[in-house]
Amino acid sequence: MTPTTIETPSARPGGLKLWLERYPFLPALIIVVALLALNGAFSPNSLSYRSLTGLLSTYMALIMLAIAQTYVVSAGDIDLSAGATLSLVNVAIVVLMEKWGGGAGAVIGAMICGILLGLACGVINGIVVAALRLQAIVATFATSIFFTGVALYVMPVAGTPAPALFWRTYGGRLLGLPFVFYVLAALALLLFLLSRTRLVTQLLAVGDDQQAAYQTGLPVVLVRIKGYALCGLFSALAAFCLTGDTASGDPLVGSKMTLYSVAAVVLGGSALAGGWTTVVGSLFGALTIGLVNSLVFFMGTPSEWQNFVQGLAILLVLMAGVLAGRRARA
Amino acid sequence: MSKLTLNGVSKAYGATLALRRGDLEIAAGEVHVLMGSNGSGKSTLCKIIAGSVRPDGGEILIDDRSVTISGPQSAREQGIGIFYQELSLAANRSVEENVCLAMLPVKAGIFVDRAAMKALAARYIDLFSGVSGDGFAAETLVGNLRADQRQLVEIMKALASEAPILIFDEPTSALDRAQVDRFFHILRGLKRDGRGIIFISHRMDEITAIGDRVTIIRDGETIKTLNLSETDPATVIRLMVGGAGDMPASQSSAPAVASFAAGAAMTVDRLSGAGFRNVSFEVAKGEILGLGGLHGQGQSAVLRAIFGASSEMSGEIRIGGDRFDAKSPRDAIRRGCAYVSGDRGRDGVIAGRPIIENVTPIHYLRDRLMIARPSSLKAKAMPALEAMHTKFASLMHPINSLSGGNQQKVIIARWLIDKPDVLLLDDPTKGIDLSAKADLFALIRQLASEGLGILLYSSEDAELLGNANRILVFNGGSVTRELTGEDRTRYNLYQAAYEAA
Repeated sequence: MTPTTIETPSARPGGLKLWLERYPFLPALIIVVALLALNGAFSPNSLSYRSLTGLLSTYMALIMLAIAQTYVVSAGDIDLSAGATLSLVNVAIVVLMEKWGGGAGAVIGAMICGILLGLACGVINGIVVAALRLQAIVATFATSIFFTGVALYVMPVAGTPAPALFWRTYGGRLLGLPFVFYVLAALALLLFLLSRTRLVTQLLAVGDDQQAAYQTGLPVVLVRIKGYALCGLFSALAAFCLTGDTASGDPLVGSKMTLYSVAAVVLGGSALAGGWTTVVGSLFGALTIGLVNSLVFFMGTPSEWQNFVQGLAILLVLMAGVLAGRRARA
Repeated sequence: MSKLTLNGVSKAYGATLALRRGDLEIAAGEVHVLMGSNGSGKSTLCKIIAGSVRPDGGEILIDDRSVTISGPQSAREQGIGIFYQELSLAANRSVEENVCLAMLPVKAGIFVDRAAMKALAARYIDLFSGVSGDGFAAETLVGNLRADQRQLVEIMKALASEAPILIFDEPTSALDRAQVDRFFHILRGLKRDGRGIIFISHRMDEITAIGDRVTIIRDGETIKTLNLSETDPATVIRLMVGGAGDMPASQSSAPAVASFAAGAAMTVDRLSGAGFRNVSFEVAKGEILGLGGLHGQGQSAVLRAIFGASSEMSGEIRIGGDRFDAKSPRDAIRRGCAYVSGDRGRDGVIAGRPIIENVTPIHYLRDRLMIARPSSLKAKAMPALEAMHTKFASLMHPINSLSGGNQQKVIIARWLIDKPDVLLLDDPTKGIDLSAKADLFALIRQLASEGLGILLYSSEDAELLGNANRILVFNGGSVTRELTGEDRTRYNLYQAAYEAA
């Protein structure tokens, strides 16, 4: 017996496996298309241009938050404070815009402050997790409580309205196209540019094998902190979309979105252990969650059964994605 | 002039001294071989130079200037490149990304310059063109490569550092002949450039082919540096073994049982599987059969295969005349086979659970026990634990409250409630203290005298020499030599282990 027969080389992946390696978001895309078709079957009206635009502007915040989560997951970390960061930025910009008069200058100034605030939250998380070496799940859970506390201090009661200029722009049209399409285009460009950065390659290398990355000479702690900073930045962007959609401030609005963002990352085809992630997949993952919710509504599920059906549907989608991925990679 | 000098470098992990005293001097333009047996401190020494382990004491000089190496990044900046024995690759990144990972070329400050990266990686990938095997391309994900190809990527990565000082910690263990030849050709070129190269290998023929000088390291201490042209393998091995090398295994540790006419406990015929091939042997009832050789030559793989823990294998195994081919460990246990691994965390301990639960799982399985009364279980568990002289506060204390040695005793005790026919020991004394080892081997000898067939693999040669009736020396996945009676000497064991496969 020769050594070559003992070690069966799997060096040349099959066609499907190669496709999945290059486009790991494919299963998520197929699921989104299938859900769209189902939505259309139950309510043809739900596939109209108008309702699709509405769906996009409602779920743009979750898309941004899922992408935020993807960057920390890339490095093998997790951020359970992403939703709280979103809430904090949400209330902060609403309060600032109101205080500064609600004009164009106030909106832009508040957004700059919001981005800085998001980055600051990310850096705090990064230092706590990477530099102080606390467990990511528990540490970011703790900072999420802390950020929520700050948000409640900034705005104790939900309901302060955002200036009309802000939400009318987000929900309106520009040169005949819905504004949210421009947001999507800008997001696509940003994701493309980010995918080319050294930081993203380093994040993935750290997530793949942290010890190996350290031994290679990568500044592992700094890379992880930058990953959290990126997460904070996208959480702030998510807050902008949410504020545009709800047109008001709410200090607790993001708390239930955190785990949805983690679910979207997994539904999109990323490995939660790190090293293998796809931001495009996370976008589709977030849309999947949105489409499941609308499907439950269009199916005419009685309100007391909606949570039940929603949970079951997400579980089914997750199973379908995992099975498809496993079969293709085997 | 010396490129790199180490003076009295030391490193301790808790109470264990990994490196007692490391003195080393690497000249420009030489390949300096480090030799020593398993756990003698070679890899620790390399990692200290590469910055991934911080030394407790001693001095490091580069180009005769004293330096402090604070981490891998700082080592790299000071001109040190390393090939890690356990590799430092990212499985989901491509070959070219891995080769360039430490110094990805950038444009505009933040973006990866893919064209420059491809060009840079291609320079090192091309060095191995023709020998890198099927499916090896710059864009292939490292996780899709074979073991030898991954090792080539790690070599390319070390070469890409273009460091004046290069460390190769067992770079050839998975490579084939043509790949090794190409690598040595490259090393000779680097020598001409005046680089200082540290090289570790366990193959004598490779060492004489490429090395200029050799430093021998024993029990964490650098013993001596020799010119390879002025010495011979026998001298080197004798230095590695120490003074007592020629003596047969000492009298105090004679084999447990002199005669075992009771018949075969286990027969293994032409067993092949992942990591080993064509292994045949017989263990008599009451015999302790040792498996020796360098680490990872197939000994553990054979034991795990017998226990049904590996998926593919061919060949025949018989226990007491009956065909025995366990499909799973569960199956193997039911049929009277026991396995104790040195890797307690992975294969033994049920972490966080009480001692009694850690002693009884095998009893549950073999007796098909569904419901048990604690008192009757206790009556069964206590004798087994006492036979091992296990120290514990109460059966309800979690197993993590015990020391490593006592944990291992609990793991072994679980096999003593219902006696197996064959006991497989896979480096069982890894990381346990001397007195626990002594208790353990006393028990193993007693079990042998009661008629068990025992297979013992140990990474410590003294344990094999002191306890085994016969020793099979593994090299490259098959048995290359059998040592019996007076032949069981340290010298013979080393020689057989270090021979080229």
